[in-house]
Amino acid sequence: MYLIEKNNVMKLAEELAKSYDLYGPVIDNETKQVFFNKVESASEISLTAEIPALPPKTVVFPQIERITQYKYDKVGKKAEIAMTYDDRSKAIFGIRPCDLTGIIVLDRFFLGQEFVDDVYKEHRKRMFIVSNTCVVPFKQCFCVCTDSGPAADEGYDLNLTEIGDMYLVETGSEKGKAFAEKMGLKPAGDEYIALKKKVIDKSISLFEKVATDNKAWISRIMNRVTTGFIKDEVWKHIGNQCFECGACSFVCPTCSCFNIEDHNRFDGSTDRLREWDSCSFEGYTKMAGDHNPRHPVEDRRNKRFFCKLSYSQSKKYLRPGCVGCGRCQWVCPGDIGLPNVVTYIRREITE
Amino acid sequence: MDYKSGVCNFCGTGCGNYLKITDGRITGVYSSRNHPVSKGRLCVRGWHLHEWLMTDQRIDAPMIRVDGSLKKVSYEEAVNFMMDRMSVYKGKENKEIGFLASPRSSNENNYLFMKLARGVFKTNNITLDSESGHKASLNVLSEGTGFAGMTGSLEDIAKTDFILIVGSDLTKMNPIIGSEIHKAQMSGTKVVTICSRSSQIAKLSNVHLQIKPGSKKVILGALAKAAISSGAADSDYISKFTEGVETFKNSVNSLEPADIEALTGVQYSVISEIAEELSKSSSAMAFWSTGIAGLDQDTVSYIYDLFLVAGKIGKEFCGVNPIAGIANLQGGYDMGAAPDILTGFQKINSDAASKFEKAWNTTLNKEAGRDIYDLLADKNSGLKALVVADHDEGIVRYEKEIEALDFVVYFGAYDNPFIKHADVVFPVAALVEDNGTYTNTERRVQLSQKRIEPFENAMPGWKLFPMIAAKASQNWNYGSAEDVFKEITSLTPEYAGLTYAKLIDSMGIQWPCNDKNPAGCRRLDAEKAGRKFKFAPVSGNYKTPSATAEYPFLLIRGQGEHFWHQNNIMKKSYIPKREYNATLLVFPEGYVEICKEDAKALQVREHWGVKIVSGSGAMKVSVKISDDVKPGTAYVPYFIREMITEFLLEHKSDIGRGEDAIIPVRIERV
Ligand code: SF4
Ligand code: SF4
Ligand code: SF4
Repeated sequence: MYLIEKNNVMKLAEELAKSYDLYGPVIDNETKQVFFNKVESASEISLTAEIPALPPKTVVFPQIERITQYKYDKVGKKAEIAMTYDDRSKAIFGIRPCDLTGIIVLDRFFLGQEFVDDVYKEHRKRMFIVSNTCVVPFKQCFCVCTDSGPAADEGYDLNLTEIGDMYLVETGSEKGKAFAEKMGLKPAGDEYIALKKKVIDKSISLFEKVATDNKAWISRIMNRVTTGFIKDEVWKHIGNQCFECGACSFVCPTCSCFNIEDHNRFDGSTDRLREWDSCSFEGYTKMAGDHNPRHPVEDRRNKRFFCKLSYSQSKKYLRPGCVGCGRCQWVCPGDIGLPNVVTYIRREITE
Repeated sequence: MDYKSGVCNFCGTGCGNYLKITDGRITGVYSSRNHPVSKGRLCVRGWHLHEWLMTDQRIDAPMIRVDGSLKKVSYEEAVNFMMDRMSVYKGKENKEIGFLASPRSSNENNYLFMKLARGVFKTNNITLDSESGHKASLNVLSEGTGFAGMTGSLEDIAKTDFILIVGSDLTKMNPIIGSEIHKAQMSGTKVVTICSRSSQIAKLSNVHLQIKPGSKKVILGALAKAAISSGAADSDYISKFTEGVETFKNSVNSLEPADIEALTGVQYSVISEIAEELSKSSSAMAFWSTGIAGLDQDTVSYIYDLFLVAGKIGKEFCGVNPIAGIANLQGGYDMGAAPDILTGFQKINSDAASKFEKAWNTTLNKEAGRDIYDLLADKNSGLKALVVADHDEGIVRYEKEIEALDFVVYFGAYDNPFIKHADVVFPVAALVEDNGTYTNTERRVQLSQKRIEPFENAMPGWKLFPMIAAKASQNWNYGSAEDVFKEITSLTPEYAGLTYAKLIDSMGIQWPCNDKNPAGCRRLDAEKAGRKFKFAPVSGNYKTPSATAEYPFLLIRGQGEHFWHQNNIMKKSYIPKREYNATLLVFPEGYVEICKEDAKALQVREHWGVKIVSGSGAMKVSVKISDDVKPGTAYVPYFIREMITEFLLEHKSDIGRGEDAIIPVRIERV
């Protein structure tokens, strides 16, 4: 544990920018929307900005990225193929606990199963992560229900917690420790364990008043979702509201569906692209013969919630798939963001 | 920051977005939380705008046709070739030359295109592509109220008390408007949908009036009649703010409850109840889709008159709201891309024309022109040359007629089937390669800023069109798209108070924006309109198509989210294209939706092939069994060009009637 004065904290980011591409929360001047984006200079980053609209998953899993480039020479019948993985070293500065948990879930999906995804691995390999404790929650948050905040307990190199006019800097890796030492940070006394706990308790106590958009006690419905004892009418009520836009998957820090496409370039070469996809799309799971003639939309919807909320799926991620960020709620043209679905199902249970 | 704010260019909702730009290329899109219309939402199309904008299927150089094939040339050569060849055709008296404008082009480009047609070629034969329904709606609103646009606001949907949706499925056509209506319904607004099919929006409504196909006018007339005869109609409002109610009363009074029930299949008591709720609600809005599958002018007139009877036009949270299917359909009309109007719906045969003559320093032909599709359909029209901008529809209709023309000029950014018929092709800078304003369906003028350099040095409209005018010795002097906009605002009263600076600082401003309303105008205001609202003339014709022993089914059609407007641009995306293909994979020949009972009677099952036979044609499609249609109704989505469109083309005159084009058919097992 170390300490750094509030007005010096960005020095950490400046130092990281020397050896990494630096990413962090940035506020758009025009509309005040917050993005998690690459910055030219550390000064663009805001540690107090609200939870970014754009999840940091874009750093490790961009919306659309080139993974291979090839050119076929028709005359010589030869193909030139180049793998074009993005292997730059990246530092993410100021990631919120829920989103960090999201990256941990993505790690388990892309790296933790039989198959290791090389593209993802390259993004992730040389990464330096600095997380930021939420000393006050935001309106849309419900990480306290999904065990993913308001403070991170794993996955970071450094973790920042604002305490008075200082930031408490915890190290989570050798790399983090070495960096803290290099920066000559002042060690923090043991009293800071209790001080941090106080800050976190305060934050948790604020949820009731501040985090009013969503409540989703997912533990109470996981059993139901896993066993499938949910009435057809409930799924139908949910399915009727799905506009099949895909947004819930795109904005979700743990959604990992992707699609591969070939983009023919004007110069005759081809880019193989990987891009975000969504289980809400008919074409994502479509098989010839139309296997789901009965309730196609409902079936696809209930798949998403099964993925986020069932025990069987949680075994893969070692935790529930939802990290309580609330993004799917505000992007949904229907009214079926995950927190609302939890409410619909709970309502059914209590009835 | 890689994310730059922008405006979606697919449908007329005009959702706000952010485009991600890395190394001068578009690499993503994200939704805009603080945008007043979309509030963080986008539909499946909007979430894939970047895929379309990334495409390399572009026009990379000007081309002219020499000995049958297209040859790349400089802009200068292409302009010379065009002007040389065009000089033999007469635009005067609206002969020989026609202009087909694009509902996706910016206001600036549409304005210049219109100026080229009228100022340089002296023709008023100019039509916005894929229109019909929207112009019809604007005609009704402009005649009746003087306001040629939606009288309400999308932002007020959440606050209105009662919503009436007539016809097509807004959740598919303009999903974010559908979403706004859905959310209003969830928080207490009463939503009533009139539609022959149980569409998603119908399912999300409180009441779905599943009328017999072709009986919209009957039910709208019946609602008005019920409101009047029960005394629920707002008589104070009618006498204070409207004129001409008597004629309308007479034409709905002839409807008898028994006939209404027989024609619509809905009980009169249900109709009365809804009429009363509509009239007594504190505020109400009507919505209908316009564009190619939109309602005809007569049906729109009934909606408008019904809302006058109910006293729901020009009041807070009220509105009669035509919904534009394409990004700048409203803006295209605002820019005068129609045979009879200049910008801001100023009539070409009015005094306004002299204002334009003075500003443009030329003389104008003041006789209204003809619709391009009419000219193409009419073998004796004498149309010889056609100038086309950014065509979207894959020239489904009239391909043969276009092929037969003498001379075709095409302006556009993307590869397009029109090019194979063109004699001259000009690349134009695409969306975000130039500044441009777009006006959404609620009159919101939004600036889409230049974010990347044009593909292969394609010229922006403000450079290219003046080059052409210069060949005709006209001096158009613009240094930017903004200069064009300044000219527009100087000639268009509704736009008078708008500037680029104001638009950059806002997320769009709703016209009229002028001295009186410097921040724009959310809605039409009866108190301040300075005139009475006129009831629109209606036909009083309640004839509905009827099934016969020979043709026992009534065929209706609709559009979908992915297979939208024949897809010229959707096919340049990945995910929406895949979704379209997924439907094709299961139903390679398209499908017809019928209900279980009918399928049983016909002895067909899901996926089986059937032949649909009408008085003038036949097509083969697969069966899809669905609870969404009633017995005796058959529904075909209008998306597979090769099959369904060919069949529908045989019914050109029915298609002209818009959404109420009902075709009696027989279904045969094959
Ligand atoms: S399911 Fe929704 S609330 Fe949960 S992590 Fe994903 S986007 Fe956030
Ligand atoms: S955001 Fe909502 S409407 Fe869109 S796919 Fe997800 S659940 Fe469906
Ligand atoms: S509703 Fe229309 S404007 Fe909005 S995202 Fe979809 S296509 Fe674009």
